[in-house]
Amino acid sequence: MSRKILLVLFILSLFAVSVFAVGEQEEQPSGSSVTAEENTPNDPRLYQPGKLTIATGEPVYPPWMMDDNPAGGEGFENGLVYALAEELGFAREDVIWVRQTFDQGIVPGKKDYDFILQQYSITEERREFVDFSDVYYSPEKAVVALLNSEILNAKTFADLRKVRWGATIGTSDLAYIENILEVENVAVYNDQVSTFQALLAGQIDATTIELPTALYVTAVQVPEASIVAILPHDPNDLGFGFIFEKGNPIINWINTGLEAIIAKGVVAELTAKYLIGDESIPEISQ
Amino acid sequence: MSKVRPLFSKRMGRKLRFRDRYLPTIISVLSVTVVFFILRALVVNAEQWPRIEAQFFNISAMIEVFPKVLNGFGINMYIWAISLVVIAFWALILAVFRSLHGPWFAPLRVFSIIYIDLLRGLPSLLLVLLFGFGIPALQIPGLPQSSIFWGAIAMISSYSAYAAEVYRSGMDSVHDGQRAAAKALGLNQWQTLQYAILPQAIRNVIPSLLNLAVALQKDVALLSILGIRDAVREAQIYTARTFNYSSLITAAALFLIATIPMARLTDYVTKKDRERRLQRTE
Repeated sequence: MSRKILLVLFILSLFAVSVFAVGEQEEQPSGSSVTAEENTPNDPRLYQPGKLTIATGEPVYPPWMMDDNPAGGEGFENGLVYALAEELGFAREDVIWVRQTFDQGIVPGKKDYDFILQQYSITEERREFVDFSDVYYSPEKAVVALLNSEILNAKTFADLRKVRWGATIGTSDLAYIENILEVENVAVYNDQVSTFQALLAGQIDATTIELPTALYVTAVQVPEASIVAILPHDPNDLGFGFIFEKGNPIINWINTGLEAIIAKGVVAELTAKYLIGDESIPEISQ
Repeated sequence: MSKVRPLFSKRMGRKLRFRDRYLPTIISVLSVTVVFFILRALVVNAEQWPRIEAQFFNISAMIEVFPKVLNGFGINMYIWAISLVVIAFWALILAVFRSLHGPWFAPLRVFSIIYIDLLRGLPSLLLVLLFGFGIPALQIPGLPQSSIFWGAIAMISSYSAYAAEVYRSGMDSVHDGQRAAAKALGLNQWQTLQYAILPQAIRNVIPSLLNLAVALQKDVALLSILGIRDAVREAQIYTARTFNYSSLITAAALFLIATIPMARLTDYVTKKDRERRLQRTE
């Protein structure tokens, strides 16, 4: 018996020692001096100095990024990133893309990139856990339904409430449908593809999505669907921003670059090229 | 005159020395406590712990999301309960099909074998997607389009394949002598199944079936990909809106409250079952 006790105590003490050893290893020398290289492409605070490492989802959807190919530069968001990189002094080949899921972008912990973008909406609630860049685009929302749907003739929110709704998780669409349109029992899908599959399968009658996406989806991917109307802006949804790990120090520098390309009209050009709206779509505002 | 002395008398029990009696308990309690505090120190001292605590263990967020997650959990339990009943019967039918002898029953046997191979071989997630999005998209008139319906069908199909194999193992575990005895009494194939094989087989496999029931209780959460707002999906919606993961802990707690009693029940039934078997061999 006493031998067993000794064995148990021995194992426990080994464990305790190893724990404290690990604890001590984690204490790293802190306090970095300000260098002349800050706010240049060789900024040591970058994930990989000399490179701008940017995360986005997989897949990425047009017109935000075309052909699921961020490095191609075709599309609004990757076009924006390349313009920003140029403004900050990076060469085109110094922009590195990595793919991450929605959740990987928002959980705490060291990230293997500088910032993530994929139409993340900025809201005050979310600021508690991540840092956002300035707004780079603030889209309108569109109602999408199948061509034979009864809500094609909808004129008011009350008409819209009569049908079954669905939305994609992680977007601001669900909050919009529930809070602004006051629809109950909205089905919530994992991704945009599933939402449209449910629409085609007749499990939901309508969804909302950003107007640029809606234009693309109804024209190319799901021609059976069409845009019913444009909806008024949600004051809680501030628009799209890049997401940084909470406390990432490069955010101010990136924001300076973003302001500069907005002032130069680069963002307006990209908007005109990829996200052009259709003036003929009616708006339902109450 | 002389009484038979019981094997373990009270007097003998008192004779146990302190270290034999209490020391094992003391050591267990001590070691559990020490391990707990070491783990706790590890976690709490981690550099990222304050952020993890705020983002995953935020009490006010858990309370805020609780009514919605509970509502979603009701949907989980509803789908689970209905599926369970259907699976219990459908799997039994499949197992019986597979066990039938004679050339006339070949189609049923083949059906059962193919069914079990196919549905046990496919990941449940794929089945849920195929049934939940695929079949309604065919727009066949008369078939329901509800995602809960098709999601439940997917879970039932998959789990009945497992449960059928469990039933079959139970039927195989009934001694051949029982069949011979039933035959000697003049029972036909159906009667043998009904009165001799199945009652014993089902009793033998109840612990394994309960195990499957616990697994199903959690797997019902897969249906959230069909847009069904179950507990997990409600928690994810909250997370997606606020970037706060505490809602997932709320959902986890609800699942534990439901599954732990089931697990204890399974343990209890297994114990009873073992006692029953041991008595029989005496």
